Amino acid sequence: MSIQFKTIKELSSMLQSKEVSNYELLQETFKLVKSYKHLNAFITLNEENALKKARNLDNNTSDLSLSGIPIAQKDLFVTKGLRTTCGSNMLSNFIPPYSATVIENLENAGCISIGKTNMDEFAMGSSNETSFYGNVNNPWGENLVPGGSSGGSAAVVAAGIVPAATGTDTGGSIRQPASLCGITGIKPTYGRISRWGMIAFASSLDQAGPMARTAEDCAILMNEMCSHDNKDTTSLDETIPDFTKDLDAPVKGLKIGIVKEFDLSKLDSNVVKVFEDSKKHYESLGVDFVEVSLPNINLSVPTYYVVAPAECSSNLSRFDGVKFGKRCDDPKDLEDLYIRSRSEGFGEEVKRRILIGSYVLSAGFYDAYYKKAQQVRRLIKNDFDNAFKHVDLIMSPTTRGTAFEAGSMSDPIQMYLEDLFTVPANLAGLPGISIPSGYLDSKPLGIQLIGNSLQESQLLNVAHNFQMTSDWHLRTPPTRSK
Amino acid sequence: MDKETVATISYLSRLAFDKQNEEKITRDLENIIKFVDQLDSIDTSDIEPLKSPLEKTAKTREDKISAQNRKEQFLKNAPDANDDYFLVPRVVE
Repeated sequence: MSIQFKTIKELSSMLQSKEVSNYELLQETFKLVKSYKHLNAFITLNEENALKKARNLDNNTSDLSLSGIPIAQKDLFVTKGLRTTCGSNMLSNFIPPYSATVIENLENAGCISIGKTNMDEFAMGSSNETSFYGNVNNPWGENLVPGGSSGGSAAVVAAGIVPAATGTDTGGSIRQPASLCGITGIKPTYGRISRWGMIAFASSLDQAGPMARTAEDCAILMNEMCSHDNKDTTSLDETIPDFTKDLDAPVKGLKIGIVKEFDLSKLDSNVVKVFEDSKKHYESLGVDFVEVSLPNINLSVPTYYVVAPAECSSNLSRFDGVKFGKRCDDPKDLEDLYIRSRSEGFGEEVKRRILIGSYVLSAGFYDAYYKKAQQVRRLIKNDFDNAFKHVDLIMSPTTRGTAFEAGSMSDPIQMYLEDLFTVPANLAGLPGISIPSGYLDSKPLGIQLIGNSLQESQLLNVAHNFQMTSDWHLRTPPTRSK
Repeated sequence: MDKETVATISYLSRLAFDKQNEEKITRDLENIIKFVDQLDSIDTSDIEPLKSPLEKTAKTREDKISAQNRKEQFLKNAPDANDDYFLVPRVVE
């Protein structure tokens, strides 16, 4: 019996038919965790508790929708009694006194949290190289980055250790690693999933979402993760549909927009070929492609690198060495305590972003940078609103290329441009999904679909149609383990 | 981006850098600011800033206490605390 690479749907049916017990499933899962230790994908494991929960489920059967399904949680969600570091030295000893709403929702649906996944420090990075706990390796190749910031989550799903993991996406942190690891990941509409208990990076952009092997599993997870939460004032009070209901609906006649301003000629011709092949595939399913113009979309990355650092510098001011988190040794006074605790607790990228944030928010620069960026953000959102008058969805590559080697991208701006195609959806608060669409030199690559506000069901339906008629999402990385 | 500006924003951020890192961070910040200066290429004079994709007023709730007192739990995560307070170095001589 192997549980590796199984989907939620498959594992649920194995559990129901008693082909495997809850306890055996979790035991096998932790065996896989150990054999893939070289991925460095976990920061903290929840083995004892998880096995206990599984044992209980064997004794008291449950009809919960996700009963007994092992899941990995990004270490950005606070988990009651289980260390939560956010990839930072600052929180290396932090044991949260409560759980994030998303974690509660998933566990109330029967999921078993097996551990906390590695990530870029405070979700600031696109390669998982900024984690205090070391790089995560992409299961698709030696020394390849998994993308980021949800790199650990993407790697454990790609390696088939768990069928699903939680992620968060501020500028592409679910979709970019999903693309580089050959899995499916969706960032819902801003406000769909509660941010209560998510350690804040940029509050007007942060959104949680599922990462799994298939769009169908993402839909199953969305059903449980989404909720209206009084504890989050930006949580949407909108009807939450059954995201699995329309998965099979035909896509014939659907109009998908291709963004005129995304200059694909700058990409590797093989990357463009994979994208063109995906278009052809959708055309064979009856989809029509039309060009749409989003005149300001190429200003998304510079806009993001004002808005996100500004919000980050404000959010991360809470880490002061007083109430929780790291404190420096022998502070000589309060000021020294603040400065040294923060300087020792944060890594280089986090400091860089705090400084940019302080700069663009400081007197004399606020209008020129922060206000300006918010105005451009409005123009970008207007561009999307106009585009969606003509098309149902927008499609682009998720990333500029496949996974790159660790250490190969040292210029921060080059790294920021990794999010070229993903950042616009965050600025406009729109849902976006990445699905595997091809391979180059045995490395996966994804396409991104962006939907109009609250249209996750349509995104999942269009992604599911692709997966029902292709096998890119079924490929698995070499199972060699160290 | 001169050294003085970097020193000011470092202090505003309560961060300190040694000499070597200070040079690197100054260079990085200069490049990043140059990169975001692209935003100047378009006119936004009459555009209302977009602060959040949800342009709704935050909902208020009834002013009723819902959380229990979990002082002990919260103080447990403090680097230094006594039974009632977070402790910091003396601020008044």
